[in-house]
Amino acid sequence: MLITGLLVGAAFGFVLQRGRFCITGAFRDVWVSKNSWWLAALFVAISVQAIGLAAFNTFGILPTDSVASAFAPFATIAGGFIFGFGILMAGGCATGTYYRAGEGLVGSWFALIFYALFAAMFKTGPFAQSTAFVRNWGVTENATIYQSLGISAWVLVAVLLAVTGWWTYRNLTRPKLPMATLPPEKTGVAHLLFEKAWNPYITAILIGLIALAAWPLSWVAGRKWGLGITGPSSNIAGYLTTGNVELVDWGVFLVLGILVGSFIAAKASGEFKVRVPDSKTIVKSIIGGALMGWGASWAGGCTIGNGLVETSMFSWQGWIGLIAMILGTGAAAKIFIMPRKVGSPAAS
Amino acid sequence: MAQRVLETDGLVCPFPVQEAKAAMEEMNPGDELVINFDCTQGTEAIPRWAAESGYGTKDFRKRGPAEWSITVIKA
Repeated sequence: MLITGLLVGAAFGFVLQRGRFCITGAFRDVWVSKNSWWLAALFVAISVQAIGLAAFNTFGILPTDSVASAFAPFATIAGGFIFGFGILMAGGCATGTYYRAGEGLVGSWFALIFYALFAAMFKTGPFAQSTAFVRNWGVTENATIYQSLGISAWVLVAVLLAVTGWWTYRNLTRPKLPMATLPPEKTGVAHLLFEKAWNPYITAILIGLIALAAWPLSWVAGRKWGLGITGPSSNIAGYLTTGNVELVDWGVFLVLGILVGSFIAAKASGEFKVRVPDSKTIVKSIIGGALMGWGASWAGGCTIGNGLVETSMFSWQGWIGLIAMILGTGAAAKIFIMPRKVGSPAAS
Repeated sequence: MAQRVLETDGLVCPFPVQEAKAAMEEMNPGDELVINFDCTQGTEAIPRWAAESGYGTKDFRKRGPAEWSITVIKA
């Protein structure tokens, strides 16, 4: 049943590309343009998945509670910060790098290769011991926030829904800006799928549903997890260098599917082009990709594993990891983006 | 009224917007900045930045596969 991974991945890649869903951008905007338009959308996706997972556990459909990661505070914070720093340099988070690779961005190809390589180095390679060490250091008794508080997961679902609902309502009811749009060249369904700018909150609901669908499909294929990017990327690097077929699991098909889905979406929308950046951007992409692989391995997850999936399970690792990633992106934005504001030479 | 062309092909977000911001600072009200870009996210980010800054826009069009152009008018 590995093929369902490819289908879920393709749907995911398609929605990411058409919805322009960029978590790096969401984190960056908090610092650079001081707005939470996209971060609130991430919260919508987390909320949709959180409702579904709570229902899975309550009605005995799938015991996803049992697989929440144990919380290793230092590993989660340090790893999250390093990963957050890396995604800004690489110009895309875990999924962002995959779907931009599918759009033909050569910088993202480099980031992706080094992300997978460093994830493998820190998970199963020469630095695996450092990962094992930090991930065992100071592990807390409870994996999830509701276990620590001794309450039902549904209480946290309600709190999350209230916050997300209020936040989304505020963002959506703001006076609409007269934003320029491209003149449509397509009509009907083709316009909707391959041209129209999607509302981020609709995109987020779709992503939440895809994240939810991933759980049972991956589970029956023997991989007890939902969406994940770093583990599968590391597995691909491992498989390509050892030929060990056991590494090729549902997750590997999922990430390959993202490339396929985003390529189809970009190609059909006339948005595919092999784009080669300047040498400075390539070097930054390589360093960023390497930091992503290292950080995600230590933190136990990337923007998807921790930022979207563990958060919806209300694990400590998910939420603390999310905050650490946002801080890491902020630090990198201060170094690489903010200074450009003053008197950057512009073309004539 | 002057017109200036800013080539940002190859730059990924947020850099097209950052370059445009810097260019805008050196321009006078009524001047036009033609921004050529090939970052897909720019189709959303650049009009949003222009609208939030209170600048007018015109000639937002697709130049070819994954290539766009928009003209921003300094208010």
